[in-house]
Amino acid sequence: MIEFHKVSKRYPTGQLALYNVNLTLQRGEMAFLAGHSGAGKSTLLKLIAILEHPTQGDIIINGKAVSTLNPRRIPAYRRKIGMIFQNPHLLPDRSIFDNVALPLRIVGMAKHDIRRRVQAALDKVSLLHKQKQYPMMLSAGEQQRVGIARAVINKPSIILADEPTGNLDPELAQDIMYTFQQFNELGATVLIASHDHHLIEQMQKRIIVLQKTEI
Amino acid sequence: MTTDKKQSRTNHQPQNFFDSWRNQVSAAIRFSLRRLWYNPISTWITLFAIALALSLPAGMHLFLKNLQTLTDNNRQIPTISLFLHQETTIQQARDRAELITELSEVEQVDVITKDDAIDEFASITEFVESIKTLGDNLLPHVLVVTPKLNSPLTMGQDIKSLTDKLQNYVEVDTVQADIEWVMRLQRIIAIADRITWVIGILLALTVLLVIGNTIRLDIENRKQEIDVARFIGATHAYIRRPFVLGGLWLGLFGGIISLVVVHLAMLSLVPKVNALSNTYGGQFTLTGLNFSMTFVILVISGLLGIIGAWLAVSQHLRQQKIIL
Repeated sequence: MIEFHKVSKRYPTGQLALYNVNLTLQRGEMAFLAGHSGAGKSTLLKLIAILEHPTQGDIIINGKAVSTLNPRRIPAYRRKIGMIFQNPHLLPDRSIFDNVALPLRIVGMAKHDIRRRVQAALDKVSLLHKQKQYPMMLSAGEQQRVGIARAVINKPSIILADEPTGNLDPELAQDIMYTFQQFNELGATVLIASHDHHLIEQMQKRIIVLQKTEI
Repeated sequence: MTTDKKQSRTNHQPQNFFDSWRNQVSAAIRFSLRRLWYNPISTWITLFAIALALSLPAGMHLFLKNLQTLTDNNRQIPTISLFLHQETTIQQARDRAELITELSEVEQVDVITKDDAIDEFASITEFVESIKTLGDNLLPHVLVVTPKLNSPLTMGQDIKSLTDKLQNYVEVDTVQADIEWVMRLQRIIAIADRITWVIGILLALTVLLVIGNTIRLDIENRKQEIDVARFIGATHAYIRRPFVLGGLWLGLFGGIISLVVVHLAMLSLVPKVNALSNTYGGQFTLTGLNFSMTFVILVISGLLGIIGAWLAVSQHLRQQKIIL
């Protein structure tokens, strides 16, 4: 599902974020991406979402090289990826409902279908009762769960999460990890970047450690 | 692989293309209209700036159109009046009129007999009694000659040579051609028309910049939203749509306000113009904006809005990078 072949990424500033990364993730697999901060975890996830382009190497997603993708097809490609950041990037002037509905509005889904699916997604993260509130009124953990609901509402085949539990207390973090596990059980390929060894060891999944060994 | 593709397609496009497009557009229309009143003060200021920029050329155009009607009582062709000698009979006048009609330079000749003339005179002035006390009708018969004009450029010469010819007939006492002021007025109108065009184009550019800049600021304010939408998989068309519609509304509503402004300005002129025109015999009425003119102004203002917004969004989207 996700393949990296000798991928390197150097930012225009000269900083080398990734060096010679090889990686294969099977369809339906769930894995953690570990390594200390600055090891390139975020960069790796951004490369999959085409938020950045590799300087060298090939990234193959779903059997297709990302570099050969027509720029016009990138939006459709991104819709198959649900991405979650440490900061969930919710829109402060939209209600929780509208935030989660955004991916469905983008594909032009009919109103009644949107309501049904948004409410189902909010129910899954136990936030249905807060659908009319605004992001500022929610706690960090609740905001993170809204971000997750938004990322998965379009039933993406790949879920990427960058430090999704960064600011949360351990109990909440555990909860969120189990939510990801549920999506994985429903068939999504899940890749989560985290530096919380303790937490990811508990999950008993494959752990990929990023190490920069520049020659 | 293929089954997965099919599945994901049904997941992401559960309806046909037209339905989803219609849903997107109707959502964008509602959103952009609501967005307009998100910050009502700045929206009103922008709308009035646009309206004022549009109402100046529209008002000038209207003014010129009205001036032109002053000169085109006879399809913009000035007439030549032949005042005949007192002793000329009606029959002689009619015969002469017929002969003049035969001339190749002449389009039409109207005979105004002295009786017609005094009746008309009586109808437009209050001196009926005093005219009657004069006893005999001292007015002459008049032949009103409408020359045939080939080109407005040679009009001056053509009319001069025709008046010279008409002057030679024995019945003719004096010849009066009202061409001088008509020609001058036409030239002034031509210049003013050109000035209106120049001002119109400059102010259209102003409207374009005002709307483009307003939309650009809106984009600045909603950068985060745009980036989030892009990384969730919004197409450029989807992102562009509400902004372009926003530009359309600004242009359109600005255009409507400018029409109101022009109309109010005109209403304030009506009593003054009527007072003036009464002193000339009261034939002149002020023409307002007709349907096609209204339509043209709204189309232009709407288009300016769309173009201004389009340029602003495209400029933003060209800087590909999504920063989260």
